[in-house]
Amino acid sequence: MSDLRPLLRTCGPYLLTALLLCALPFYLDAFWLRIGLFSMAAAIGAVGLGLLSGTAGQLSLGHAFFLAVGAYGYVWLAGEPGPGLPPALAVVLAVLLAGAAGGLFSPVAGRVKGVYLGVATLALVFLGHHVLLTADSVTGGFNGRSVPPLELGGFTFAESDPELTVLGVPFGGEERLWYLGLALFALTWFTARGLLRGRPGRALVALRDSETAASVMGVHVARYRSAAFVLSSMYAGLAGVLLALSFRRVVPDYFSLALSVDYLAMIVIGGLGSVAGATAGAVFVTALPLLMTRYADQLPLVAAPGSGGGSIGPTEASRYLYGAAIVVILLYAPDGLHGLARRTRARLRRRPPVTGPPGTGPSPGPAGATTTDTSDTTARAKEHTP
Amino acid sequence: MTTPAAAPPALDVRGVTVRFAGLLALDDVSFTVAPGTVHAVIGPNGAGKSTCFNVLSGLYRPAAGSVRLGAAELTRLAPHRIAALGVARTFQNIVTTQGTVADNLMLGRHALSHAGFAASALRLPRAVREQRAHLAKAREIAELTGLGAHFDSPVALLSYGDRKRVELARALCLEPRVLLLDEPVAGMNAAERVRMTEVVREIRAELGLSVVLVEHDMGLVMRLADEVTVLDFGRAIAHGTPDRVRRDPEVLRAYLGTTSGEDAA
Repeated sequence: MSDLRPLLRTCGPYLLTALLLCALPFYLDAFWLRIGLFSMAAAIGAVGLGLLSGTAGQLSLGHAFFLAVGAYGYVWLAGEPGPGLPPALAVVLAVLLAGAAGGLFSPVAGRVKGVYLGVATLALVFLGHHVLLTADSVTGGFNGRSVPPLELGGFTFAESDPELTVLGVPFGGEERLWYLGLALFALTWFTARGLLRGRPGRALVALRDSETAASVMGVHVARYRSAAFVLSSMYAGLAGVLLALSFRRVVPDYFSLALSVDYLAMIVIGGLGSVAGATAGAVFVTALPLLMTRYADQLPLVAAPGSGGGSIGPTEASRYLYGAAIVVILLYAPDGLHGLARRTRARLRRRPPVTGPPGTGPSPGPAGATTTDTSDTTARAKEHTP
Repeated sequence: MTTPAAAPPALDVRGVTVRFAGLLALDDVSFTVAPGTVHAVIGPNGAGKSTCFNVLSGLYRPAAGSVRLGAAELTRLAPHRIAALGVARTFQNIVTTQGTVADNLMLGRHALSHAGFAASALRLPRAVREQRAHLAKAREIAELTGLGAHFDSPVALLSYGDRKRVELARALCLEPRVLLLDEPVAGMNAAERVRMTEVVREIRAELGLSVVLVEHDMGLVMRLADEVTVLDFGRAIAHGTPDRVRRDPEVLRAYLGTTSGEDAA
């Protein structure tokens, strides 16, 4: 019996979070569920970019391109015109397609390092945008295409077919997609964590910190760089599919450079190299503009959408806000929300032993002072590793 | 710890020449590291010792010459292939990666493990088992090098000497047949030096590997090395046992600048 306790302690928080997330559709309306859906999709994409930029140290500005490949790949594969494949199969193929697109770019991604890769990937976004606008027969051109709903064994992730009411709550598209999003997000979380803690993750960290050390320790530099790129493209593809399903329509203008920059903002705000951080950043960057649009009339200095005039619209306002958030984070918590949370947790954990000794015998004088000093510095000591 | 089945093959350096845009960093350097010995490469600053190491580990490709490990030709191989053949090295300036000592040592196990992206992502039982086995091995090596107590601490919090040892332990995790140590005691205090010397002596006795050592600390070289090669301005000016090298007039000239040879070079 007592063997269960440590297991419960490690899995408990996850279980609780999962339960809470599963219960939400019964209480929230479609607006909030949509925010959640977009956040989950963004989180999947951000985790992918985090693996590439945070863990492997390779900057990518081409994330929007791979999101587009996933989204349009699904729409074309499952839709009409297109092969009209079963949607579930189309999801898998769209993710693989995004991975293949990343693979095609791997001769560049395997050789070019750090910020230079960022410049190289910039081209992808413009290329992709151009293709989306001009290849009408596949992408629907400027107006885009509507997204065929996902169907799994006779169950459709849309308003009806079959009609569904659970515990008195009618289950429409948002409610159903919410659970799909949760499942895909859980899959992302599980796989990304496994990667980071396993052999490939360590190799990528080593590549980021010192290419030389990694290579003399046996890491195939070019192969691991390309693999990180392909992997991040696949996560982007999956995010693209989920985004398409939640938007129900894909348009080229969404997949612009600004979207790539949004994803970079997510991982910077969340903290580079951490799955939880990427998730937190994704929720922040995604939810903020939507919330500001919704509550524009109650916010000072922000105009309601469409009201024109000289004031700032909610979308711009939220951009200013998260721009400011990035500056604040880089100045005061360079390791992002994730690092902030970790340090807070460490401080909370360290407090009990610090308050303990005074009870047994408060020792005034230099001895007491030095002990508290050292316990404070242990967390801060940081030496430069080239 | 698994001992290599047989004595490691000889490391044979023949006529290696490295040029950096006109500068001759290594000029026709040859030496042989006999199996299971400690071979020191010494010389004044800028003599080409680190360049020599970079050739051995595949980071530089020589303009001429060859490096062979037994029957295997190393000169044309990429660094990761050379690592896979059992050549591990440390760096003069410590190069560790982020994370704990365990993370760094596990990087040393990279070439010996196989879990790929898919297996790790899906946490297949095979990958989990492999990781556990290698972690146990890494812990063993940490104990051997005196890092056992720090196994789960972040490397960034360790002292200079301990971080130097992390590098050594990481190289040992590769289960090398040839270990290249680039100034293993540079910047250490006396106690740390003694400790490091002990560790190197111990691993050599226990694992039977060949060690190539670049070091400025002559005390350490004299105590550990079986054979010494002296480099000066990229040329090997002397070979032999530590005692012989110490009395070699060429070596004295290179180190102390005495004018025994009047040839203006």
